[in-house]
Amino acid sequence: MMAGGVRRYVEDLLADRRPRRFRVRSDEDADQVRTAIALRAAGAGDDGPSEEFTAGLQQRLAASRSDAPAVPRGPTRRRFVQAAGVAAAGAAVGAGIDHLVAGPAGIAAAPEDTGTIDPTLGAWQAVVPSDQLPDGGVHAFDVGTVAGFVERTGGRLRAVSGVCTHQGCRLALQPASRELACPCHRTVFALTGTVVRSQLRTPPATLPRLPVREADGHVQVYAPPS
Amino acid sequence: MRQVRIGRRSVEENDGDRGTEVPRLRLVSAEAYSGWEEIYRDNVTRLYRTIYAKVGNRADAEDLTAEVFLTALRPLRVSASVGEVRAYLLATARTVLASHWRRTLGVQVTTLDDERVETVFGDAPTAASADAAARADAILGALPDRYRTILRLRFLEGCSVRDTADIMGITVANAKVLQHRALGAAAKVGA
Repeated sequence: MMAGGVRRYVEDLLADRRPRRFRVRSDEDADQVRTAIALRAAGAGDDGPSEEFTAGLQQRLAASRSDAPAVPRGPTRRRFVQAAGVAAAGAAVGAGIDHLVAGPAGIAAAPEDTGTIDPTLGAWQAVVPSDQLPDGGVHAFDVGTVAGFVERTGGRLRAVSGVCTHQGCRLALQPASRELACPCHRTVFALTGTVVRSQLRTPPATLPRLPVREADGHVQVYAPPS
Repeated sequence: MRQVRIGRRSVEENDGDRGTEVPRLRLVSAEAYSGWEEIYRDNVTRLYRTIYAKVGNRADAEDLTAEVFLTALRPLRVSASVGEVRAYLLATARTVLASHWRRTLGVQVTTLDDERVETVFGDAPTAASADAAARADAILGALPDRYRTILRLRFLEGCSVRDTADIMGITVANAKVLQHRALGAAAKVGA
């Protein structure tokens, strides 16, 4: 028997109303919602966005941009590729793109365009004071160009990228299990970077490791300068 | 000179970027856009259709499309290439859709997982709709006749329960029950 929440959701879809939210409790619920969407999407309602909507959104965007600071039309594409390539080590599309378009500072600060990707373009950056990362501790960091997690276990430090290697979604630390969960496709990584479980038929690649050291009373990771 | 891919109709180059009547030119992915308005105009319809195929209703599709552009366009550098802009829009849409499901149902009912930039923004302007139609056909094709009929009438053709009941020669109450059973069976096919 179909639960009330699903039934209402489906009726809303059929009436082309905004479907009301409810808590999906079972795979059956999710399957029925997914199927209803698939059928509905093939129906008569899909004739593209209305003029009214596209024009309205264009106005909202214009308004939102007019109070934004002017973004310099700065650096060349090549420089972008350079920065992104280093940042992501080819693994984290999300992080790379994020960084690419993230704003003037990171890109503009890149060194003169040498025309090549220089993997040594990086700097040791403090992510957490040493005394705040005890043995067994995990710390999330974001140095602008790279986001990730650093842990100390058995007296050793380890840092991994915090961006899923599948589609670039940001991973979230599950403190209880000491695992990194991707919000997008039910994929979980260990802090070593290996995949623990994944709903994907082909599990995503292991998370890239980042060089990490301890100096000047801080844990530092080696990453492109922000 | 700007390279252009021509849409369904053959047109001369669109220099002005102004005339709304001018059929859309498709930019090649290595080119850059002239401004954010062009980014918007060039991609809004496909992005909307792609999202619509994942949520199945206009209200949510409009909200999520708006969220993608409002999130993406502010920090976007116009000098990024067309391919990079589209990759960024699609990556943003993935995250926006994922958080929509987290917010509303608590599970990831649909994803933009398998969608590729080349198909979403490719030559076929209605690729998302064609995909949706194929998926619906596959589901319906695996069902018994009466299930297939009621789902087609209700979901694809948009008939009311009453009209559906009349067409099928059953009572309204029976039509409701039949619809629920049919959707349950369809969900098992699609799962």
